[in-house]
Amino acid sequence: MNYLAALRNTLLSVVLSSTAALALANTYEAKLPDEINTAPELCKYAPCTEVLPGATSFSERKGQPPYVEAYAEEGGKKKLVGYVMLSTDITDTPAYSGKPVITLIGMDTGGRFVGVKILKHSEPILLLGIPESSLVRFNQQYLNKFVGDNIEIGQSRPEENIIGLDAISGATVTVIAQNQVMMTSGTSVARQVGILKPTIREQAKFVDSGIKPDWASLVKEGAVKRIVVTPEQVGLPRGGEPFIDLWFGYLNQPDIGRAVLGDGPYNSLMSGLKEGEHALFVIRSGGAQSFKGSGFVRGGIYDRVQVRQGADSFTFRDTDAFNLYGVAAPGAPAFNESAIFIVRSKAFSAAYPWKFVFLGNRVDRATGARSFANFDTEYWLPAQYLQGGRPEVVKPDAPWVRVWKTRAVEIALFAALLIAVATVYAFRDKLTRRATHKNKWPVNVFKYGAWIISIGFVGFGMLAQPSITQVLTWFHALLFQWTWELFLSDPFIFLFWIFIIVTVFVWGRGLFCGWLCPFGSLSELLYKVGGAVGLKRFQFQLPRRWHNRLKWVKYGVFFGLLAVSFFSMGLAEKLAEVEPFKTTFLVGLFNRSWPYTLFAAGLLGLSIFTERPFCKYLCPLGASLAMPSTFRWFGLKRKQECSSCKACAVGCGSQAIDENGRIDHRECLHCLDCMVLYTDDHACPPLAQERKRRTKAGLALTPIGADGYFIPIQPVPARADAAAMKNSIKN
Amino acid sequence: MSQDHNKDQKLDGQPDPSRRKFLNTAAFAGLAGAGLSVGLSACKQEQAPAPAAAPAAHPAAEAAEVGKYEVAPGQLDTYYSFSSGGHSGNVRIYGLPSGRELKAIPVFNTDCLVGWGITNESKAILGTKPDGSLKYTTGDTHHVHPSYKDGTYDGKYLFVNDKIHGRIARVRLDTMECDKITELPNMQGYHGTFPDKRDPVDPAINYTTRVFCGAEFSIPLPNNGSNMDKVDQYRSLFTCVDSESMQVRWQVLIDGNCDLVATSYDGKIAATNQYNTEMGVHYPETMAAERDACLFFNVARIEEAVKAGKVTYIGDSKIPVVDGRLASNADPKTALTCYVPIPKNPHGVNISPDGKYYACSGKLSPTASVIAHELVLKWFDGDLKEPRDAVVAEPEIGLGPLHTGFDNKGNAYTTLFLDSQIVKWNVEAAIKAYQGDKNVTVVVDRIDVHYQPGHGFTSMGETKEADGKFFISDNKFSKDRFLPVGPLHAETAQMIDISGDKMKLVADHSVLSEPHDSIVIRRDIIKTRQIYNMDEFPNAVKDFKDSGVFRDGKKVTIKLTSQAPAYSLGEFKVKKGDEVTIILTNHDKVEDLTHGFAIPKYDINFIVNPQETKSVTFKADKPGVYWCYCTHFCHALHLEMRSRLMVEA
Repeated sequence: MNYLAALRNTLLSVVLSSTAALALANTYEAKLPDEINTAPELCKYAPCTEVLPGATSFSERKGQPPYVEAYAEEGGKKKLVGYVMLSTDITDTPAYSGKPVITLIGMDTGGRFVGVKILKHSEPILLLGIPESSLVRFNQQYLNKFVGDNIEIGQSRPEENIIGLDAISGATVTVIAQNQVMMTSGTSVARQVGILKPTIREQAKFVDSGIKPDWASLVKEGAVKRIVVTPEQVGLPRGGEPFIDLWFGYLNQPDIGRAVLGDGPYNSLMSGLKEGEHALFVIRSGGAQSFKGSGFVRGGIYDRVQVRQGADSFTFRDTDAFNLYGVAAPGAPAFNESAIFIVRSKAFSAAYPWKFVFLGNRVDRATGARSFANFDTEYWLPAQYLQGGRPEVVKPDAPWVRVWKTRAVEIALFAALLIAVATVYAFRDKLTRRATHKNKWPVNVFKYGAWIISIGFVGFGMLAQPSITQVLTWFHALLFQWTWELFLSDPFIFLFWIFIIVTVFVWGRGLFCGWLCPFGSLSELLYKVGGAVGLKRFQFQLPRRWHNRLKWVKYGVFFGLLAVSFFSMGLAEKLAEVEPFKTTFLVGLFNRSWPYTLFAAGLLGLSIFTERPFCKYLCPLGASLAMPSTFRWFGLKRKQECSSCKACAVGCGSQAIDENGRIDHRECLHCLDCMVLYTDDHACPPLAQERKRRTKAGLALTPIGADGYFIPIQPVPARADAAAMKNSIKN
Repeated sequence: MSQDHNKDQKLDGQPDPSRRKFLNTAAFAGLAGAGLSVGLSACKQEQAPAPAAAPAAHPAAEAAEVGKYEVAPGQLDTYYSFSSGGHSGNVRIYGLPSGRELKAIPVFNTDCLVGWGITNESKAILGTKPDGSLKYTTGDTHHVHPSYKDGTYDGKYLFVNDKIHGRIARVRLDTMECDKITELPNMQGYHGTFPDKRDPVDPAINYTTRVFCGAEFSIPLPNNGSNMDKVDQYRSLFTCVDSESMQVRWQVLIDGNCDLVATSYDGKIAATNQYNTEMGVHYPETMAAERDACLFFNVARIEEAVKAGKVTYIGDSKIPVVDGRLASNADPKTALTCYVPIPKNPHGVNISPDGKYYACSGKLSPTASVIAHELVLKWFDGDLKEPRDAVVAEPEIGLGPLHTGFDNKGNAYTTLFLDSQIVKWNVEAAIKAYQGDKNVTVVVDRIDVHYQPGHGFTSMGETKEADGKFFISDNKFSKDRFLPVGPLHAETAQMIDISGDKMKLVADHSVLSEPHDSIVIRRDIIKTRQIYNMDEFPNAVKDFKDSGVFRDGKKVTIKLTSQAPAYSLGEFKVKKGDEVTIILTNHDKVEDLTHGFAIPKYDINFIVNPQETKSVTFKADKPGVYWCYCTHFCHALHLEMRSRLMVEA
């Protein structure tokens, strides 16, 4: 078993080299100094000069959201040459990993990007799949582009004033998120420093009906909204008490304002507001957490609450907060913390939807690490409070929606493929009856077709190779937090998984593994081609006893990865390189360092000589699907003689038929060869015997029934007959 | 007679009336001596049966009750209480119901905490002698009254008197700082003061534009040393000040004196009680008459007279003075003033929230006199025969009544100095009783306070929004109510819940000597500023770069800015003999981030609030290094926040 040793060595080298890769990928989960997020002297902790060439000194953080000014010495005088911003100061847009790509961005005084540097990312794909340099190259596309332009991922569309950026294949979500980070950060600073004009939203015109709704009506109408954060959402142990329970609402609207505050306080509040100033109230009816915190005491900024509207975010200074002495609306809950906050900006308009954001921290219970966790609730004044109702609002699509829209055609084709394969398989009986041991084309034409499409279109084209990492991610999502966006962000994988889950429980994992898995298809295709080009004599199967032992390895791999993932998702992602999928499809055999290429090429090379070695022995994805396949609804057919007849077992490429003729549906890849035999009266021994018997006896050859036997001419005592047949085969 | 008076109170079995009897008698004697007996002899037969003060409730139950009035951590008081500081010369702000002291606003005093009386800006408000030193350093604030709009407080200003030097000061309620002080001419003992509530003529002016000020002490006019012995020519003036400009508009020459002041809700009338209609110089003389008066001013007629030039000028004063003396105003139809006789040395005149009645407390008479506003106007129209006919009730309420507050249910609460009680009586019932109805209960409740209440106030009681929640009894003696702190005691401001049928004493708040008025205002009426606006200060040092030492001969200006934790100059040099002006602008914008600036040996300390500018001027007469430092905690590096004043010999 030489190749087994080779396999082991290869595996070992993969693990070793991934450790090496970890050391090289210097921004993956890079440890940044804590001060970088908070210290006024951002540039003491961040390499600002690298993103603003020519700058020699930097100011402290200023503005809201913060940025620093970059200066160059010119004739002994300081000259402002640009601005540096830390993306996470401005937006916490998560990338594929669910965590932000922390980016340091330099912009000159003309609003052109002059430097982009990733300080830290958590993208697994960039760690092992796609070289980090591709993200660096992606970011370089921003250089010298103006922050006010419409920069999007994809083709440039001059007629729409859209400047396109080349995406990174296989990391679409990462780059869409990155583009959002770049543009949000750039525009928010450009607006503050006057490079871009601030957004001015048309102000709301209120209906003043004089009606004073009670609290319940205000809540029902959506004039008062709620944010509840539970302890588990911030990584604390579950408890009966919410972490914080807030109610908020917009006060400038006279009906709502008077209902909430009462006439006197409402008039008094409004008399103190200028045009473009907006009051909202917040009360805390539950939870021990304060929404005010203490940051405002020294820093002057409330760091736990924010209002966001479109791309604008509005924070509150200490002087933007007033006492809320009481809520006049009958039925209001008791509260123990309250405030009136003033948004002082014409960029804010109550006519349009906005969000009240509670800025929290999530504590990772395993590591104690803190990460930002924001909780928001959208607020949009109910139509009856606005003259003319709510204006029409075109909301920018969420990144996942954009992905679905831009790839609609491919998605439709892919969905059609999945449906077609499922349909073909559902009618497999018709195909297998047409096929014979000698001529399997009625089945194979569909199967090979599926393979070729899977390899070419699904694998190399759409990069939609499902992976064990997705299963791990799901496990974590189920246990901790399920976000649809994460799964919707890759439509092919999303659809593929729907297909997989449905078919696994209907027919078993074989339909995916045997017909549609791009790598599996490639692997078996190589085997078939190898056989066809004359290498058949070198092709072999592992002896049964070895097969029966080694097939468990993949389960070990799966549970190993699952276990590691609970300890470190990052490490599990790295170890998931045991799948050669990224190397084969996402990155390409020739774009990776040699250990990966060797591993993938080795597996594929081996595939020429033995059928699907990876699938049978190593594939953790297959293992994870094999287990639920135990509970499939429809299995493949067997007949009584199968327990002793080995005809199918001999021809079973996936070695899924055991000594007793049983099909192991965890191992079966639905090649349907045995089903072809099942109804082939020339190849299935019991059928052939009966055929011969009947021919000899001059009896009619009736069609073969659903039970795999000739439809009886007259009732025969089945058992005796079957026993006789068995004996005859043996002899 | 005080004994008779108390006998009537035995009705509900008060445990030990003799103790009270003794106390009353003793205090009575202490107050007025033998001369009083005459004045009080009239009262005893009319004594209405009244319940005695409630015996103390069970202590445990009482404690549970009191807990209701505590303000838990993180919660806010529901009322502001603005208190005069008496001869501290300041105004204090308390939160109610907690009684927490929130601020002392320096007004007529000097205050090294904020630099009041030290900075050039505060000196300009206080007034200086030609040498630049303060004209006065003492003051005696008695009455604080906020400005009105539409019959309630508008949260704009607070006016306060200085009885010692006859000055009126205005406190801005947005910054809670004094911004103007005006010295009133030709008067002494400026005691009562009250803003008007609307204009008597122009309905559009439904807010305060005038403040009335009464002179308690009659003096020779002009008081230049020439007529000191002509006691019969001593007179008092009643003064009207413009609430915006703080300039004196006009004065009224009157007979008798002015004590407390009230104004009507319709703007037509200003009133003052008179305890010295005798115009006596020594106190027995002031008690000579059986009745003194409550004096009403017809504001519109006075202003017409001023406009018509029917005025005189006293001494070198440019203020027009109209004649409001009794003899000159005999014809009601043209009279500027109406003298309504009421019993003996009254104290306090307060108008009911419905605007219908003035209640004058008897002080030396155990009565309160209720005067109908409508009838006073009727007298001015010539339709009421005698001024005294305007009195619609005169119930006996207890000994030594001084001040009256009102709830929103038609009840009056009067402090009884000698009885050490608050008496709750019903105004309409008193009127019916005065008309002869013997079935009404005038006095509905009494409660002991500790001790000797002076002023008493109900929450929002001086507005049409009187809410009947609390009564504050500002007691003149605290005796055993607090931990002893030496011979000078704190005073007690006792809080009484008046929302129920029975008054409940719910808190003893300590206050430093010596509040007179305590105006209790709903918190939502007050809207303060959080920080200053740098542009409001003409001398602001708006940029760090503008800092420096600027010399103009012997005059040196140091321009400084502060931003935690540093001043813009680490040191600045001047020469001995220079007149140094330091201008400091606080560039911090964070609310509550105040910096101080102290100069050792030069007797200077002041503060600059966020975005505020202050300046001081002094003579650099001591050579050496003087570490100026921040006195108001500002930053973790607060102690490091200093700068050197270097005076070269």
